[in-house]
Amino acid sequence: MKTLQRILGPLLLALATLLTLFPVYWLVTLSLKREVDQFAVPPIWLRFTPTLAHYYDIFFVRSFGAYLAHSVVVAGVSTLLALAIGSLAAYSLARFPRPGLAFWILSNRMFPPIVSVIPLLLMLRWAKLLNSLAALIVVYTAFNLPFVVWMMRSFFEEIPVDLEEAAMMDGQTRLGALWRVVLPLVRPGLAATAAFCLVIGWNEFLFAFLVAQTDAAMTLPVGIAGRVTQYEIKWGAMSAAGVVAMLPVFAFAAAMQKHLVRGLSLGAVKG
Amino acid sequence: MKQGRIWLAPAVVALAALSIYPLLFAIEVSLRTGSGYGLDNYFRLARDRFFLVSLGQTLLYTTLALAVEFPLGLTLALLVDREFRGRRLLRSILLIPMLLPPVVVAVIWRLILNAEFGVLNGALRSLGLDTSGLTWFGSEKSAMLSVVLVDVWEWTPFLFLLLLAGLQGLPVEPFEAARIDGASPSQVFLRLTLPMLRPVIAVAVLLRGMDLLRVFDQIFILTQGGPGFATETVTLYIYRTAFRYWNFGYAAAMSFVLLAATTVIARAFLRLLRQHPA
Amino acid sequence: MRIRLDNLNKRFGSTPVLRDFSLETAAGEFLVLLGPSGCGKTTCLRTVAGLERPDSGRVFLDDTDVTHAEPRDRDMAMVFQSYALYPHLNVYENIAFPLLVRKLAAGYVEKRVRQAAERLGLAGLLQRRPRELSGGQRQRVALARAIVRQPNAFLFDEPLSNLDAKLRLEMRGELKRLQHELGVTSLYVTHDQAEAMTLGRRLAVMKDGELEQLGSPEEVYSRPASLFVAGFLGSPAMNLLPGRVDAAARCFVSGEIVVPLDADPLGRLGAAASITLGIRPENIELARTPGEGWLPGRVYVCESMGNENLIVIAAGGAHLSCRAAPEMRFDFESSVWFRFRPGCLHFFDTSTTRALWP
Repeated sequence: MKTLQRILGPLLLALATLLTLFPVYWLVTLSLKREVDQFAVPPIWLRFTPTLAHYYDIFFVRSFGAYLAHSVVVAGVSTLLALAIGSLAAYSLARFPRPGLAFWILSNRMFPPIVSVIPLLLMLRWAKLLNSLAALIVVYTAFNLPFVVWMMRSFFEEIPVDLEEAAMMDGQTRLGALWRVVLPLVRPGLAATAAFCLVIGWNEFLFAFLVAQTDAAMTLPVGIAGRVTQYEIKWGAMSAAGVVAMLPVFAFAAAMQKHLVRGLSLGAVKG
Repeated sequence: MKQGRIWLAPAVVALAALSIYPLLFAIEVSLRTGSGYGLDNYFRLARDRFFLVSLGQTLLYTTLALAVEFPLGLTLALLVDREFRGRRLLRSILLIPMLLPPVVVAVIWRLILNAEFGVLNGALRSLGLDTSGLTWFGSEKSAMLSVVLVDVWEWTPFLFLLLLAGLQGLPVEPFEAARIDGASPSQVFLRLTLPMLRPVIAVAVLLRGMDLLRVFDQIFILTQGGPGFATETVTLYIYRTAFRYWNFGYAAAMSFVLLAATTVIARAFLRLLRQHPA
Repeated sequence: MRIRLDNLNKRFGSTPVLRDFSLETAAGEFLVLLGPSGCGKTTCLRTVAGLERPDSGRVFLDDTDVTHAEPRDRDMAMVFQSYALYPHLNVYENIAFPLLVRKLAAGYVEKRVRQAAERLGLAGLLQRRPRELSGGQRQRVALARAIVRQPNAFLFDEPLSNLDAKLRLEMRGELKRLQHELGVTSLYVTHDQAEAMTLGRRLAVMKDGELEQLGSPEEVYSRPASLFVAGFLGSPAMNLLPGRVDAAARCFVSGEIVVPLDADPLGRLGAAASITLGIRPENIELARTPGEGWLPGRVYVCESMGNENLIVIAAGGAHLSCRAAPEMRFDFESSVWFRFRPGCLHFFDTSTTRALWP
């Protein structure tokens, strides 16, 4: 009986791992299979001749190279902006607590995005920014701000005030103390927060779909979805695009690991 | 430098412009009627059968997903809570689904669950089973379950992660005391682990629940709310109202009702929690 | 119920924590495991409890081998250093827990819980949660939880260390009374030698995973088996003077200190090359004027404790701690005469650290 119990645990975990990885594996293999192999019955699990035709297709025949570039730019720039603006605010809140203001800033994340979509769209149309990368950058920065404030504030709170006070005694301004003394210490926190923001910006769909619908500004998720909602679905192209969209996330995940729980518990912990 | 006020300015300005303004605008447009301002849109909602159905389906989706994700996440957390080699790697692997772009997740599952070409039906067929009845996303009866399945695959890691963190934050000594006091493993779980984990469970369920009430991306890409209206949630109905029927005011009103409903549910949940303090 | 440990060995990683450790208690005995941190006493206790399994060796309760039994099958009660109360249960439920998990009748449970609570003065606190209690109260709840059943043995893991000094003294007395009334075999771990001396029927002094000496408080105090035990018990610590024996002159020499030896110790010490003399502070006599054979010294520091004075004197290149009556007050650098009270000398082999005499 006891041996059964001892096997059950690892068995379940193995099953969970299999179920987690198999769909990912399937996507990758689909992207590398020739069309004739993709839907064979019985399914071809391991042995097939790989082909890079689909990757060639999405980058050189379709515009996925552009979509990829757009995603990179939008995610990257919005992350940098959110980090800069948000960290300043977070530092201020960490050293000079303002519970009311803090709560307001963090509560912005609570809104269902769909509420703000419509007026944002109209705002952007008025500013003639529709279908531009700038529009997405602006929106994603606002998206990420509460999150950056939340994360960075808790990182700043962990640094004892003594260090900045010592620096200021030695003649630094507060800004100088922040830049020279505190920032180097919160670098891991900045990295983790940046990773989160990059993942959010990279994965985001709703706003990108509604705001940037032309090839000039389309991001990767929208490009992929576009193939899906149409009648003729090119599985090869879609899976190749999916793999491309998936890869950076693995890289970010490594940086996010240690602080995942902190990032995900935003807001509700305060009750 | 006045208490760091100036440092807050850019953030506050940005958020004010991009969230307060849209909020006010949405309120305004939701109150527009043919002849000035009024609550017409809201009254209409109360009688709108589609809206009520979509509300029901949203609640169904949320409940089904939580009912599966929570026990699964808890089980995984309990299993991973022990010390063993490769634990960190395993934990990282199990988190993958929730980190992937939702679009990619939707694509993967559309591929796998495609009735004709998908690998699941293909595998079943190669085992001799008849899959003509298994249409997954294609039939009204199974569509809801199929989208819930996708949600379970994608978001169970979220609950797993939070619950695992909760478990690892529990103090060790009461558990040792319980072993000495004579409690069996199941008694330890029921009398110690679960009650001590309550605050974390509450937070996890609350967070996930609120995200579930507002789900959009996956369902949109998987089924667009179909077939028919079988998987149409409130957010999808809002989308349709705003971008197919171009009725922004009505859509805005619906958004507020959704926001109100979400807030009420969250508050009630928290109050329920406080009445049974841990 | 006797507890017997047979050649226990345990290592954590590459560090050995218990080395061939053997011990046996008498039935109903209060035995103290005393030693500095890292000596393995807590690991030993946890092995008896079943929270740790030894790498080799066996644990017996009476004649039953329980080495690999689960803690709950050993029927012991443990009081932890940090009390380990169940934070989500109130005092009543905490105390009742061991009985509830055994599914005993509600009426019986209530009776036992109230008895235990009465005995420890907790009757009015039964509805409170641990976080609403003071340290001393929490500790009493932990004790109540331990005595609510009739276990085979009590295991105490430094239960008084987290209390403030005054409370610690009070609880020490309470514990001793409690154990006397209940008569249950107890293993008590501490690094505080005063606690060990007052509570234990016997002391097991431990160092680096090994048993240095096992004996009653009097034995361990007045006939320490090694330099370590000699230095560990007693406050201020025993004065230790390394030196050698001059057989021809029939005395012990350490620096400029010369101590004449009688035939008895001299005979036993003969062979050893280097010897350490031990003399407890209370056994050094001080005077302002010398007597026959007294040695000169200079007062290094004199601390008045009220009921006695602690004086450190510099003599012959060494510092000696002495305890003196309150009237004996000296200024810094004042000159003083001292001698070692005859019959109170201890001799140790410096290289093996074992006691040679008495």
